[in-house]
Amino acid sequence: MMSGLLSIARAEWQFWLRSRLAVGALLIFALLLVATSLVTALRMSNAQHERAHQQTAAEETFLSQPDRHPHRMVHYGHYVFRIPPPLSIIDPGVDSVTGQSMFLEGHRQNTAMFADARASAELGGFETLTAALAYQLFLPLLLIAIGHGLIIREREENTLAPLLAHGVTGIQLYFAKWMALAGASLAMLLPLAVMCAYAFFQDSAPLASAGVIGIYALYLLVWCSLILLVSSVVRSRSLSLGILALVWLSAALIVPRIAVESASSAVPAPGKLETDYNMQAELREVGDGHDAGTPRFLQLQADLLAEYDATRLEDLPVNFRGVVAQVAEADLTEVMNRHADARMALEADQARIAASFGWLSPVVAVSAGSRALAGTDLATHHQFLRKAEAVRFDFVQGLNRVHTEQLAYSDDINRSTDAEAERRARMSADNWNVLDQFVFKPDAGGERLARAYQPFAMLIAWLLVLSAIGIRIARRVQP
Amino acid sequence: MTTILSAQALSVARSGQQVLRDVSFDIEQGEVHALLGGNGAGKSTTLLTFLGFLSPASGSAQVQGREACDNIAAARQAIAYLPESASLYGHLNAYENLRYFLSLAKAEAHQPALDTALERVALQADAREMRMQTYSKGMRQKVAIALAILREAPILLLDEPTSGLDPAAIDEFNRLVRDLAENGRTILLVTHDVYGACHVADRIHLLHKGELVGTFDRPAGMNRIDTEAVHAAFATHSSA
Repeated sequence: MMSGLLSIARAEWQFWLRSRLAVGALLIFALLLVATSLVTALRMSNAQHERAHQQTAAEETFLSQPDRHPHRMVHYGHYVFRIPPPLSIIDPGVDSVTGQSMFLEGHRQNTAMFADARASAELGGFETLTAALAYQLFLPLLLIAIGHGLIIREREENTLAPLLAHGVTGIQLYFAKWMALAGASLAMLLPLAVMCAYAFFQDSAPLASAGVIGIYALYLLVWCSLILLVSSVVRSRSLSLGILALVWLSAALIVPRIAVESASSAVPAPGKLETDYNMQAELREVGDGHDAGTPRFLQLQADLLAEYDATRLEDLPVNFRGVVAQVAEADLTEVMNRHADARMALEADQARIAASFGWLSPVVAVSAGSRALAGTDLATHHQFLRKAEAVRFDFVQGLNRVHTEQLAYSDDINRSTDAEAERRARMSADNWNVLDQFVFKPDAGGERLARAYQPFAMLIAWLLVLSAIGIRIARRVQP
Repeated sequence: MTTILSAQALSVARSGQQVLRDVSFDIEQGEVHALLGGNGAGKSTTLLTFLGFLSPASGSAQVQGREACDNIAAARQAIAYLPESASLYGHLNAYENLRYFLSLAKAEAHQPALDTALERVALQADAREMRMQTYSKGMRQKVAIALAILREAPILLLDEPTSGLDPAAIDEFNRLVRDLAENGRTILLVTHDVYGACHVADRIHLLHKGELVGTFDRPAGMNRIDTEAVHAAFATHSSA
């Protein structure tokens, strides 16, 4: 039985290899895949090195600052960069829309910033043509071009009757044609497999690399089944091509657009101005840490004096201004984190709703799974934001501790009028070591694979449903 | 004698329309029968029913004593079928087509056997390795006939086998059919060609609008059926 299936599949491959149209299409798509894979790999690899270099430079710059008042260092700030994970050479994911670096400073959580365009050509949007996009959108088009006539061609050219008369059953024919198309599509996964192997040697995340190959293989098999199904049902090649073009259009363009709009409608997100306005109102209530004289801090002052049984701030063993800075920073951060968590929860809800449209479009399913496995999804970006915030809070509070414990209150308040006090108010640059080295890595391969379970489930469901319908139809194939 | 093909009170409907009505005949081993009739007479439908592509609405169509529609695999294993238009792959050459279909039928495909079969159907040697999309209709038909021979199946169902062949090739084909029958093959062929049918068949069944309207046997000791009688009956029903 297997040799018969292979014979039919081989004859189909021969047909493609001897058809100028099919060979032309195969070559064009192979070139497109190689080109986009190479360009994406080079771009992301360059970004990896560039951001790693910038991260090191930012840390060196911070640590090389001269002796100075610790609060000046709080405002001098620090940059952190999200270094793209190795699998981003396949799917850069949200990298280009969420920003890749952040400026960390006291009293505020800045939004992520975007890298400058390296060339004016990128302003035209060509940089968005990634390997992932080529596989998700364009490879199905190639499969449609070569596969839309798989079964219907046998009917149109009157070879179906002899095939069946030679003992081939409808199901065998269906499966052999599926093998032929699946073989061609899996051969197209070669550039992806090479990139996954490269990524594997970069960060040793074999599960994630295998997962990327697995999800794209599954995705292409879904398209093979879909194409074969249409080719079995309709009665002409042109109709088959038309129907499949419509299916592609809705799966690749219409449903993803509806998914985004539905997510936005189901979980409305307030605008940045509105969010910032609400947060600023709350922050004003917390008080300004630069002004120790605000009523809220007068109570703190009284409590401290009572605690140390002192009558003047100068008599306290700690710098009151530093204490105020610490308390204010903690309170501000609590408010900012609450708003950030709410915003991230809202974004995650929107992403979840959009991803659920994978039940309607395999393109939506594979894109969500691909981003999760590559470590370039929204969840990973949120992890980056949280980690960056943790670093920010730690170094700001570290500097505030230096302010509190090492800088005398009297020097602090007199430094603008007394040159000697100003000199003593400069803390040793050794204290800038409070800055932790920032290293952000996405989740391990197993966790990323677990996060991609839903897209996998969606694609498996697509494959099973299409196969079940296909087998049902194949049983009844007649000349 | 063993009955190889048998239609008994066979009625078949296609797309809701009755295309065969109460047709009965038996074909013994080594016999050549021809189904003769105009367009829509039900000739090809009869062949497709023996192949199990169509199920009888009533009556039976048996291959080697078993109901074809209930034993499809066995029926198709026993039958070599030559469809109306020689249906082979244009992107393959003659050898590749033969090897392909023979592998599907799990039959042997040795090169000398392929050459012998192609020589029997008189396909020029220099054409055998050319893709069949460059073949004339007659050349394609020859390859299809060679395939039917190579199958070595005990039964041959041939739908318009001489369509597209030149007169010399038709004579050669008729000799080939008689030769195959003498070697024990059972052959049922469908044709419009009264003259050819009379020369090659042991018995002719005349079909008209799905009904069997006449049967003509080769008289003992004669080398052909009475062409005039068949012509007359055919003409009567065609004008009716």
